[in-house]
Amino acid sequence: MFSRTRHLWRALFHRGQWERNLDDELQWHLDNRVEDLIRRGQTPEEAERTARIELGSRESQKERCREVHGLRWPDEIKQDLLYAARLLRRSPGFTAVAILSLALGIGANTVVFSALNVLLLRPLPVASPGELRFVERDGFPVHHFARYVEMRDRNKTFSGLIAYEFVALAIEDGASPRYAQAYLATGNYFDVLGVRPQLGRFFGPEDDLKAGAHPVAVLSDTYWRSRFAADPQIVGKTVRVNSLPYTVVGVAPAGFYGTELFYRPEMWIPMRMQPQVEGISLLETYDRGPSRIMIVGRLRPGVTPRQAEADLGSISAASPLGAPEFQGDWNRINLTPPGLIGDQFRRPAEAFASGVMVLSAMVLLAACANLASLLAARTLDRSHELAIRSSIGAGRGRIARQLLSESLLISILGGAAGYILAFFLLRALSAWRVAAGVAVQIDGRPDWRVMAFAAAAALLTGILFGVAPARQAWASRNTRGDLPGRATRPRWRFREALLPVQIALCCAVLTASLVSFRGLSRSFRTHLGFDPRGLAVASTNLAFARYDPENGRVFQRRVLDELSRVPGVEAAAYANALPLSAANSMWVLFPENATDSWPAKGALANTYRVSPGYFRTMGTRLIRGREFTWRDSAWTRETAIVNETFARTILHSREAIGRHFRYSRRGPLVEVIGLVEDGKYVAPAEKALPVVFWPANQEYESAMTLVVRSSGTEQAAAMRIREVVAGLDPRLPLFNVGSLRDTIDFQFLPARIATVALSAFGLLAAMLAVTGIYGLAHHAVSGQIRDIGIRVALGASPWQVLHPLLGRTLMLLALGSCAGLALGLAADRAISSVVYQASARDPVVLAGAALGMVLIGFAATWAPARRALSADPLIALRHE
Amino acid sequence: MTEPAELMRGTLDLLILKAVSLGPVHGYGVLLRIEQISGGAFSIEQGSLYPALYKLEFTGMLAAEWGTSDSNRRAKYYQLTAAGRKRLREETTGWRRVVAAMAAALSARAEEA
Repeated sequence: MFSRTRHLWRALFHRGQWERNLDDELQWHLDNRVEDLIRRGQTPEEAERTARIELGSRESQKERCREVHGLRWPDEIKQDLLYAARLLRRSPGFTAVAILSLALGIGANTVVFSALNVLLLRPLPVASPGELRFVERDGFPVHHFARYVEMRDRNKTFSGLIAYEFVALAIEDGASPRYAQAYLATGNYFDVLGVRPQLGRFFGPEDDLKAGAHPVAVLSDTYWRSRFAADPQIVGKTVRVNSLPYTVVGVAPAGFYGTELFYRPEMWIPMRMQPQVEGISLLETYDRGPSRIMIVGRLRPGVTPRQAEADLGSISAASPLGAPEFQGDWNRINLTPPGLIGDQFRRPAEAFASGVMVLSAMVLLAACANLASLLAARTLDRSHELAIRSSIGAGRGRIARQLLSESLLISILGGAAGYILAFFLLRALSAWRVAAGVAVQIDGRPDWRVMAFAAAAALLTGILFGVAPARQAWASRNTRGDLPGRATRPRWRFREALLPVQIALCCAVLTASLVSFRGLSRSFRTHLGFDPRGLAVASTNLAFARYDPENGRVFQRRVLDELSRVPGVEAAAYANALPLSAANSMWVLFPENATDSWPAKGALANTYRVSPGYFRTMGTRLIRGREFTWRDSAWTRETAIVNETFARTILHSREAIGRHFRYSRRGPLVEVIGLVEDGKYVAPAEKALPVVFWPANQEYESAMTLVVRSSGTEQAAAMRIREVVAGLDPRLPLFNVGSLRDTIDFQFLPARIATVALSAFGLLAAMLAVTGIYGLAHHAVSGQIRDIGIRVALGASPWQVLHPLLGRTLMLLALGSCAGLALGLAADRAISSVVYQASARDPVVLAGAALGMVLIGFAATWAPARRALSADPLIALRHE
Repeated sequence: MTEPAELMRGTLDLLILKAVSLGPVHGYGVLLRIEQISGGAFSIEQGSLYPALYKLEFTGMLAAEWGTSDSNRRAKYYQLTAAGRKRLREETTGWRRVVAAMAAALSARAEEA
């Protein structure tokens, strides 16, 4: 076996040498033979002649030698390709159309696949990423630290279990403290992930023993290069983080950014420093208070995810510390692939990406159908040539292969052009950042998977649209060069079958793009539950300057006082986070009495902590009750404001005011004092969510976003916020500063991307449909131009002329459109998960799609119809 | 002098292997050697010699090397590989068996049938 490949290799890639050797060997044979024959008494001329006759035709000798060395196939393929290239050069118009439509189709698919690759297929930059699993508890991605410790120490199914938390920091590495994103990570983090530092060392379990005792930091490669100019002496130097000095122990390798695909931390800090970094300790809490820890584990060899889920689930259920209300289903553990905060973003991202992928595949299919019918027509136009080739001895298989290699050549050229197109598009995409202040970046540079995809797409399409004409050539057993007209029949049937498919695909894509267009235009007018016009925002975290809860409260109140004294400011407030800001928290709430009809596991609600005046500032309508005041604090009875959905679905009451519920089963009663209108909280396309607002003064939280409504411009108001905060405490860096409209803009990004992509696909599909219908109609008219001329001469009405010609084409168009609309309606659900309120059951969409198809039909049949109506019988007869 | 016998199918490869097994040799030498060792009984059609040699080389039965001949010209010398030697052994045994069986079959007498 080895010998064969070696010989074939040498013969293929050192072909010149190989041929020279063969020549030399045969020449050597002849020379020796001639000498021998002369020695036996022949004259030199005789000897030469005899020797040549004995050896036989030198060319056929060489051909047979080549054949036994496996060179026949490569040689023939080379011939086929050269011939195909010559043919394509001879019809540049056809070649250009074919390559362009394929380039667009393959390019679009490559871009979409590349996004899919980045989102879902590319592994994390760690050792054996396939063994890593993200731990979710009853579908929740976050845990309390004490639960993590319990799982880490008692599990038997993971070789290592790590915990980490996203954290915002103020880093002092320049003139003033700067906002940065980082990770708190457990001591075993780097070890379990299996990465090596490029400089110094990573922190280990010995650096993560005692709360607050390990001020060390590992820098990311990007941070080290951008702020320290890749200083090789960095290890041992000090960086101030949240007003405390940290010693740099090492630098992470380039390209390592932890376990989340969309988070680019600047540094890693040991988990046990959490109280110092965040101002309050979450290390001891268990089933109480906020949980922000995420857990990733490396499965032991041979352990299945099911076994690991059962293992962690039983540890969780048997925990002696567990609160009674978090029993049963709450202890169900599910493992998901890491990278997108478990499954939280994976499912929507997957649905979105595969939806777009399906649409782009449909466009490529339509392009294939178009090319197939073009090629089929060409093959028939060439039946004369093919007949000659077969009559001089080319086998049917050989001819079919010739045709197939033509279509493959087109698809390879189209694929290469498409890949180049996609390459530049992707480079532009990865240079662009989602939003200022969001450390999210999509690394869209194409890797080998993308290249393989483009190559596979090109080959597959080449075979798809090449098989039809090749099959046709194969089937035409008695192709006769003298009767090219006879072959017209199969062309009709074949192309007629392709057209409705193509139309249906086109119409479905058109419907989908209209649906998303409508949805997008609506989503800009959708009611968000607040009025972003005139609002300026800025975020900070009081932990940056190490405020304790008492001083923190004082500061928060002072900021509002100062802000409300600024001229032009109409209202000011703060919250721990704003709706649509990508920072979401959820609470589990319990009923007042066990008899109330609440979900058995408690009710889930999104929650915000808001200051007095928040709803007035945001422009949220207070339906009943009152806003919070500074008196709603930790020292009075507990109060809450709920939204309409919470009142309706959880309290089962339109009158929410005065109703009660609890934080925990036996916790204190919380009284509802206000009811506000519904809004959008997590994403603009979401269904109505139940939401609870707590008074900010009740429980201190260091994260705060300031909101100011002013009569001036939003940018000017944002500047005022900067000045006021800097005046009060220069150690507090702000982030996400600007108009609220700008900071929530990224929420509309998926809808925008979808709409742009779908419009591009829709346009492409429409172009393909026009050319397809035009081709069919044109052929119909050309084929019968003589008959038409006579009919026109005999006084046939336009209807009588056109009906038999274009009736079928138009019927196919109608048929395809109906199928396409049905397909588009089916895709409706996928689109509506991305684009707010998108629905194909919208009469405007249906009418638009129908109108679009009519226009396409018109555009495509206009020229052929005119040609038919103006057919001159004399010309037609003369042509005969 | 009897006419050289027509070569039976499949025996050419065996004869080439045998000829080469006697020592490294070039293509024309193979031809001469076969004539010599068969006492001129076989004449090889020269047209099929080189394809056969190439096939044996391709399948790894023969190894070829370019050397210099007595007349100081570049010539391709063939020699047996381990696989070729094994194949020669096997085919020789097989061939002997066929010959013995044929001989026995042809000497059968009528009454024994």
